[in-house]
Amino acid sequence: MLEQERVLAVSPQARAAGVAPGMRRGGVLMLMPDARLHVRSPEREAEAMNTAALALLQYTPLVTIAEESTLLIDIGASLRLFGGIRALCRRVRASLRALGYSGVLSCAPTARGAWMLARRRAGRAMRIESLTRRLDSLPASLPPPARSFAAWFEGIGCFSLGAMRRLPRPGLQRRCGRALLDMLDAAYGMAPELFEWVEAPTSFHAKIELFDRLENAEECLMGAERLVQQLTGWLCAHQLAVERITLLLEHERGRVARPPTPVDIALAEATWRDEHLVRLLRERLATLTLEAPVIALVLDASQVQPMAPPNESLFPEPGGSEEDRLRMFELLIARLGPENVLQALPQADYRPEVANSWVPVQQKVREMVRSAQMPPDVESLARPTWILAKPIALLMRNHRPFYGSPLKMASAAERIEAGWWSRTQTRDYFVAEGQDHTLYWVYRERIVGSGEEEAPRWFLHGLFG
Amino acid sequence: MSSLQNNTSPEELHPSLWRASQLARSSTRCVDTGHPTLSKQLPGGGWPTGTLVDLLLQQPGIGEMRLLRPALVAAASRRIVLLQPPHPPQALALAALGLPPSQLVWLRATRTNDALWAAEQVLRSGSCGALLFWANHVRGESLRRLHLAAQCGETLFFMMRPLAAAQDSSPAPLRLSLRPAAGGLDVGFVKRRGPQRDAPLFLPLTPTLLQRHALVDRPAPAPATARGLQPELVQ
Repeated sequence: MLEQERVLAVSPQARAAGVAPGMRRGGVLMLMPDARLHVRSPEREAEAMNTAALALLQYTPLVTIAEESTLLIDIGASLRLFGGIRALCRRVRASLRALGYSGVLSCAPTARGAWMLARRRAGRAMRIESLTRRLDSLPASLPPPARSFAAWFEGIGCFSLGAMRRLPRPGLQRRCGRALLDMLDAAYGMAPELFEWVEAPTSFHAKIELFDRLENAEECLMGAERLVQQLTGWLCAHQLAVERITLLLEHERGRVARPPTPVDIALAEATWRDEHLVRLLRERLATLTLEAPVIALVLDASQVQPMAPPNESLFPEPGGSEEDRLRMFELLIARLGPENVLQALPQADYRPEVANSWVPVQQKVREMVRSAQMPPDVESLARPTWILAKPIALLMRNHRPFYGSPLKMASAAERIEAGWWSRTQTRDYFVAEGQDHTLYWVYRERIVGSGEEEAPRWFLHGLFG
Repeated sequence: MSSLQNNTSPEELHPSLWRASQLARSSTRCVDTGHPTLSKQLPGGGWPTGTLVDLLLQQPGIGEMRLLRPALVAAASRRIVLLQPPHPPQALALAALGLPPSQLVWLRATRTNDALWAAEQVLRSGSCGALLFWANHVRGESLRRLHLAAQCGETLFFMMRPLAAAQDSSPAPLRLSLRPAAGGLDVGFVKRRGPQRDAPLFLPLTPTLLQRHALVDRPAPAPATARGLQPELVQ
């Protein structure tokens, strides 16, 4: 990372190669010819801060962006919900990692104190006494207003904040200005602090530009996860749950401009948690084939509704809740496709193929409609468990249908004659028994041709499970 | 002390010990099979839940659903998932068996990997009453994986595989072979926690599907042509 042609920050590999902050571009390229040099861009830094702030909104509504790339969050009210300070710190760190950032976390009873601890990687302080102790040992050049007077502080032998605090206040204010005293007071909890909290935008639309051209849809998952993290923060800030999200994969503009590929995910149960969304996205992206390399990802929350916290029952049911089942179906649909996850919706029709209709499980079917289509006495119907997708024409031997072995009719004929308005069927159905006592459902076409085709034609149509 | 030890039988020492001549006790909850003669032959007295149960079929459609009917009806308060059945299932027939159509889910998968993945997801979620999975060629490690996934919950899990798969090893603690027989099924015990039994067990299955008036109408089932009947046509 370069700023004004000087190295500002280096990666661990570059450090191992001997690159150090403060070097010039030529020097770096001599040590590491394949080094990737980036010029520091304040816009992208600000964007990153906004992204992180949005993601952190899932832990508390009080998030603010402080100076020197620091985020301050007030977690006083969130400790109990997230299970204590350690658990919360772990989750915050995991969220940052999912966004692709690393950071230093500190906690303190005062926001400015936490800021100072974080700037010096000084860990957590839970009580005001331990915070005072830790702050006292921090260097005097830490508060930004004191930096321009660093030489003077050094000259009078004031190296730490503790020593600075013992200096006479009126003199300090005359020399260094009001800002330094205010900052010290805020850090030590002697003056109230006021912040302008980050406000989440009213609609969600996030975009990330990828560093590389991605050829494989699965590689987009990392970027998509970052977007989902932001979405989670935004949803929590507005107390909303999402019903439908759209991930747009923007393609490189080659000779012809390509419209972005949409990945649309509709949820049966509105959610505001990230794990389920990420799992669904993973399955959908795994089945996607890209026509062109992807350069950017855009996430839109197209349908939202107010968040409804789940009803927790006192004794958890062994079979899992309704939401668990819906979530399982969504996951199955994401990988197998909606046309392969089916529920039964029998139709009131005499023709067995038409009666046996299956529809995607997403389709909402009212129980009344389903039961109205059922025959009144379902047990009197001889219907096979498995119905062949296409009836098999049977061979005839000795005027008897033959399927593996000669078939013996075991029931009387059931005549089905219907469908003159679309596909006519005139059939006599029999239950037939093979020599190994397997039962088959066979039928005879009643309308046969004349002449040579006069012989009745038999078909196998089902198996009794 | 030593005499006391001599008197205690191994099955009293630990629940997972049994003599070779006895049936083991089941460590998981079992669902009654609904066929008393079969229940007596199974460890735990029924189909074990949360376990892989291997059913080896001579061919699909020999009465396997009628065999499982009582257990599935008991599990029908939650969804029953049919994964990759050999032919499209007929909801009316399953309704006649006592499984309401609203509880049936039919999953189709184009690739074996997808089917295995779907089975694992269904088992891990544990929100379904029963999973019936038809598969032809499954490798041993996939079976082991499914068996582990089944242990997460209390789902009834049956794998329907061809008879030839009896030759391969399987982690399933219960493996039965099913062959059609006159008026029922022959159940062979390929593997169970208990004494080896070579003779198959005949289970009469009530053919509720046959029409009740079948016998009355019997004489004219085949197409009677005017040109005289051959003797074998008369049944």
